[in-house]
Amino acid sequence: MSLRRILFALACLLLPCVLAALAIAAMLFARQGGIEPFRIPHGERAVATDATTIASGEYLARIGNCRACHTVRGGAPFAGGRAFSTGIGTVYSTNITPDPAHGIGDWSADEFAHVMRHGVSRRGALYPVFPYAHFANVADADLDVILAYLRTQPASASTPPPNRLEPPADSRRALVGWRMLHYRPEATRIDPNDRGRYLVDGLGHCAMCHSARGERGSLPPEGHFAGGRIPGIGWYAPPLDRVQLERYSEQQLADYLRTGTSAHGSAYGPMAEVVYASLRALTPGDALAIARHLKQVEPAPLRATVGGEANDDAGSPGAQVYAHACADCHGKDGEGKPGAYPPLQGSVAATAPDATNAVRLVLYGGMPVATAGEPRPHTMPPFVQRLDAGEIAAVVNHLRRRWGARDSRLTAQDVESMQGIVVD
Amino acid sequence: MPRLPAPAILFALLFALSPAFADDGIAERLAACAACHGARGEGMQGAEYVPHLAGKPAGYLFEQLAGFRDGRRVNASMTWLVQFADDAWLREIAAYYAALPPRTHAADAGAAQLTPERRERAERLVREGDREHGVPACSACHGPDLAGLEPGIPATLGLPADYVVAQFGHWRNGSRRAREPDCMHGVAQALSPQDIRAVATWLSQQSNAQSIRPAPAGAFVPPARCGALDAEAAP
Repeated sequence: MSLRRILFALACLLLPCVLAALAIAAMLFARQGGIEPFRIPHGERAVATDATTIASGEYLARIGNCRACHTVRGGAPFAGGRAFSTGIGTVYSTNITPDPAHGIGDWSADEFAHVMRHGVSRRGALYPVFPYAHFANVADADLDVILAYLRTQPASASTPPPNRLEPPADSRRALVGWRMLHYRPEATRIDPNDRGRYLVDGLGHCAMCHSARGERGSLPPEGHFAGGRIPGIGWYAPPLDRVQLERYSEQQLADYLRTGTSAHGSAYGPMAEVVYASLRALTPGDALAIARHLKQVEPAPLRATVGGEANDDAGSPGAQVYAHACADCHGKDGEGKPGAYPPLQGSVAATAPDATNAVRLVLYGGMPVATAGEPRPHTMPPFVQRLDAGEIAAVVNHLRRRWGARDSRLTAQDVESMQGIVVD
Repeated sequence: MPRLPAPAILFALLFALSPAFADDGIAERLAACAACHGARGEGMQGAEYVPHLAGKPAGYLFEQLAGFRDGRRVNASMTWLVQFADDAWLREIAAYYAALPPRTHAADAGAAQLTPERRERAERLVREGDREHGVPACSACHGPDLAGLEPGIPATLGLPADYVVAQFGHWRNGSRRAREPDCMHGVAQALSPQDIRAVATWLSQQSNAQSIRPAPAGAFVPPARCGALDAEAAP
């Protein structure tokens, strides 16, 4: 066979493959939103700047919790620089103050809305640490008032550190590939009159923590509100659905959102921050709308099952640790003390498929959020210097077997692997 | 009007009439603090980097708590605990520890001994400062008895040498910042490491057997208008 014939045969074989690959790529590209996300709009459009608008924008920015992510501890508000640790490296939040060179001062209202909706800015595709899949649901009018509020904030010339990411994730082009594989924009926006859902799945971006992650940090629909380990930080976020929230009345849940405390326990870890920085500003009506919506969510397919048989675990080493270190406050039957110490019966720490919250609370204790609901919260002491890793594993196993119906088999090594306080 | 059961009324009356009851309440609420700083803020034997809190000026304690919350001080365990506390609660915590009697203690027998020259140098820095390098005397701000000045300047008595040296390191590298003007940042920059070690060792060798409280605000006038003087007193 001559070389020419071999090449011809190869071409005949390869051409369909190439064409098929191109067709698949084109289809995936279309499914992540087509070319539209990559066309940044230009041109100015005036937004209202009256006091009512600014106040409304401040409220919505608070509910979206823009400031918490876009501010480093002790730094200028909205000037960015907070580190987000992900499976592929560290992403730093950006400066969204009105500084034209370092912030978003020269963004038009259309450009701002475009970035919020599509997750693509003039610098290219944004890392999905930024919850654009949720912000895509925010109504035009609400995006305008948020921008109007941000424009009233002091400009900062602060520049966040460059992201530290492994190849190929360090390339913005790779993000186009990620979008093609994992980003599926909703065809229709949520009706703003469906207030609870609008806040939960829009500005509130609750699913960023409370969902089960898929491959490469994606948020597949079957994991929506299924609960899971929060990427980059050592905490587990519980599912949000009617089964998980059954023990809360609508009003209890609404109050919990605004105060961080309830008869079932207080917010801790990242949820304490969300209450402190954001949710305590909720109007009673919005809090109730969110609670009503969450209590109607159907359990997701990826949701972990509830535990098996409860086991009183009497006489175990963990039961002994519990009796001398925990029972004074949490009660000998894990019933807690109303108004002071949360019950362990039914608690997320005990019932979750992941023991990380229980271990971290025992290791480092905590002080619940000080809010109008509980301005002088009772604290939990850290036990890291009083109990060794084996004792902590034993007591966590005990409380999870006893009140979580979990076949918990943590070892001292597991506890050691969860050590280390992350405060950023 | 719905009738309250008599015990509830009695309980409410007791609560309203008895400030001591409220105090007991706060001690219980602060179990997390007690784990390291002691049930009455007395500190912990053998833990050089965990200071006592009892009897320190309320304004000073509040500034430190708010500093851990807001990033002016760096300690992961402290930030972890106070990060979601508001000013009112932190002021109450500060006032609680401030009202407790300062820890009495003997001189730190375990502290390294100073050579006569180092001792003389330390005493000079404490009593007179170092004009050439722009360092005021410790006693000019912390008081002739080094027991501090309300509301923002703490005693320098009763602190382990390693703790004091560590704080100077934080002031030098900016991981401990006070309100501006941050006088201790300037002092820490101006002192040599040898001087810092000598002063810290000398301080740890002083006793506070009488449990001296900080001088009341205005009892004396420090030479510089430091931010610490603007610390707000108890609520």
